[in-house]
Amino acid sequence: MLPPATHDAQLIYDLYNLILVFAVITFVLVEALLIYSAIKFRRRNSDEMPKQVHGSRTLELLWTIVPALVVAVIFGFTVDTMSRMTARGSLSNPVTHVHAVGDREAWRRVENAQPVDLAIRVTGAQWVWLYAYPGGDNVTASETLIVPANKNIRLDMETADVIHAWWMPELGPMLYVNPGEVSHVWFNAPAGNYIGQCNVYCGVGHARMLSKVQVLPEAEYDEWYAQQAAANSAVVEPGNAERGMQAFMNGACIACHSIEGTKAQGKVAPRPLTNFASYPTIAQVDGLTNNAENVAKWLKDPQALKPGTAMPNLNLKAQEIADLAAYLETLK
Amino acid sequence: MASISIPASARDQATRGLLGWLATVDHKKIGLLYMVMAFVFFVMSGVLALFIRVQLAVPNNTVLDPQTYNQIFTMHGTGMIFLFTIPMLVGGFGNYFVPLMIGARDVAFPRLNAFSFWITLGGGLVMSLAFVLGTRSDASWVAYVPYSTRQFSPTMGMDIWLIGLILAGIGSTLGAVNFLVTVYTMRAPGMTAWRIPMFVWAMVTTAGMVLLATPVLTAALIMLTTDRNFGTQFFNQNNARLWQHMFWFYSHPAVYIMILPAMGIISEVLPVFSRKPLFGLKAVVISTVLIGLLGFTTWVHHMFVSGVDPTIERFFMFTTMVIAVPTGVKMFNWIFTMWGGSLSFKTPLLMCFGFLATFVIGGITGVIQGAIPVDQYLHNSYWVVAHFHYVLFGGSVFGIFAGLYYWVPKMVGRMLDDRLGKIHFWLMLIGFNLTFFPMHALGLLGMPRRIATYDAGRGWETGNLIATIGAFMIAISVLVFIFNCLKLRTAPKAGNDPWEGNTLEWMTSSPPPEYNFRHIPVVESDRPLFDDRMRGLDH
Repeated sequence: MLPPATHDAQLIYDLYNLILVFAVITFVLVEALLIYSAIKFRRRNSDEMPKQVHGSRTLELLWTIVPALVVAVIFGFTVDTMSRMTARGSLSNPVTHVHAVGDREAWRRVENAQPVDLAIRVTGAQWVWLYAYPGGDNVTASETLIVPANKNIRLDMETADVIHAWWMPELGPMLYVNPGEVSHVWFNAPAGNYIGQCNVYCGVGHARMLSKVQVLPEAEYDEWYAQQAAANSAVVEPGNAERGMQAFMNGACIACHSIEGTKAQGKVAPRPLTNFASYPTIAQVDGLTNNAENVAKWLKDPQALKPGTAMPNLNLKAQEIADLAAYLETLK
Repeated sequence: MASISIPASARDQATRGLLGWLATVDHKKIGLLYMVMAFVFFVMSGVLALFIRVQLAVPNNTVLDPQTYNQIFTMHGTGMIFLFTIPMLVGGFGNYFVPLMIGARDVAFPRLNAFSFWITLGGGLVMSLAFVLGTRSDASWVAYVPYSTRQFSPTMGMDIWLIGLILAGIGSTLGAVNFLVTVYTMRAPGMTAWRIPMFVWAMVTTAGMVLLATPVLTAALIMLTTDRNFGTQFFNQNNARLWQHMFWFYSHPAVYIMILPAMGIISEVLPVFSRKPLFGLKAVVISTVLIGLLGFTTWVHHMFVSGVDPTIERFFMFTTMVIAVPTGVKMFNWIFTMWGGSLSFKTPLLMCFGFLATFVIGGITGVIQGAIPVDQYLHNSYWVVAHFHYVLFGGSVFGIFAGLYYWVPKMVGRMLDDRLGKIHFWLMLIGFNLTFFPMHALGLLGMPRRIATYDAGRGWETGNLIATIGAFMIAISVLVFIFNCLKLRTAPKAGNDPWEGNTLEWMTSSPPPEYNFRHIPVVESDRPLFDDRMRGLDH
């Protein structure tokens, strides 16, 4: 397993290793018996007739009771672990990373036990995770979630379309995000970069629906947040094609778009972007002439310009839009 | 053995030629038709698996675009489960050998039996021809809603997939009725419960499971079809989990439907090649039936992370772990069947060893991921892919090949080459473990299943490359088997009883006449032919 970074991930890790001990013992025992039998009892003489043993009540009771006990022990340890995982545990336990759907009791316990420092609204959409921060500054992010270290974070997750699953192996339990429900994940992680991805098959872009969590020390997080809040209103500098390409290739774009000779091989968009700059219009929308201004408008909110298009609003920043537009103009 | 003389049936003369196969109601011909059909689908789904492995061999591979990749893994899973494993074991082995092993002349409803086959084949052809022609589903074999609804899967491929499965499901259900009635009413005189061969016990349990589980899947498939085409709202936006419940209420028992008959085969082959009776016959029978019953109580373990009410999760965790106990009982009973025996290492026994040595891993990993917190890590990861392939390939497929090497001489009248069989076994055993063992590690490293590609740098490269190499070893091993079958035409004759068998099918000629037995045998023990041999009476 990947190294656990939270309290609950650690519990899972320990439980797995504990059960693995029983598993390895059983495995070795069975394989050893098999190999021993294969060597010891092979036919040496075509006429030999072994003793006809039909069974043994003692032995059979033994290998019913012993495995039953082993299973009971594993079950006991598992229930114990579950009781120490916060959503199902007592108030005295540290609140780190729990999940609950429709488990109001668990959520109440968690809320009472320790206040949530930051609640972020998460939307899973084919094929990107979108994050909306509280605070009235309209700070948003896609794919990479940035949060402060050692704080109680709660994600309120919804889906815009099909089922997705939030899976950050280092941060604790996985959880489906079902239509019509809000799924909650709590975690409290040290600074670091974590990676996971959508874990319910959700269509052509499923493999590219990554979820990255960047946990920053609090000061750095505050700085980042302030920057984002400011960047929402202003383009800091002119679009940079190189940076635009980086954003394109490392972002959700490649789930749907293809550009010949790059790793972008998505097949959702009807036309490849290989020669984007020479297309007369954007997304074949009449009157939407392909120029820098319109590209920026499109990237800001595709649904407004072409209702029903497969391309979601990716909550891109003004700067990201400028960079991406600059990059797209180089694709002649 | 005493025997009752019954006049040979009026259908003494088999109809020959193509019409003989198309119009047959003989359980043996129908069994062979099932087997040939299933084997063709095995090869087809196996080739699809090779495409999957080629695409995943290296990061960011572009051999397949994501759309095609998704369609391929959907058809691989669907084909292997519904068109290969179940028809091969239940329709194929079950049809051919259940009547023979209970000393009957045919199944209870021969025409229904033929209907079951043709409707199953129809379902398979609808799906696979549409696949070849490009009308494909890409919703994976679990077809979760809402992905599989009209809104997100608008193409005809999804409807074709549903119709194909509905047809195959009907065939399967009707077949189950037939087996239950056959075994209940048509056993040879003297065949009391504890004298019924283990394979037949396994088939009875399986048929019971099919009868109770398959209609639920069929209902769900029909509901989804009407949702898609006639605007019903069974699985609307707020009902995503209803599909999961109905789907897994069938599909978890389906795992046992696919493994119990294979276990039945193992329970027949081991005693013959050890020259010992099955150790603890009653315990094995009881465990089989218990697995069948418990198999209906575990389905929610597929849904531990899909937001099921936490209060019911523990019950399903408990049943999931408990089912390991009867499985373990069988494991040890098999080992002690060989203990102190005289093991003849022909290919059927080697395949049994393959089963025992690999299935145990699938059983153990099942308990590990049955623990809810662990499942919250491993769910839908490559670890799960490893786990169920250890059960369904390590278990079912090794069991199927044990059965084929054991019974092809009876069905064809000629022996499969043992040396080629051994080459097949070793290539398949090594290839299988190379393919699937590294997948445990891939899952632990965070690789989800059903992804069309992945980036470098997450530690997944080596495991995937090894798996791809292993997959090609499996493919070569299957080619060896096919070559072995092609050589049957000139292979040495088998005679009635080439292995010193225990059960009634070895009493009659190879292949058996249409009426199976000239005289219906009277059964006096659980190993009638062994007793005859001990009395110096050879068949």
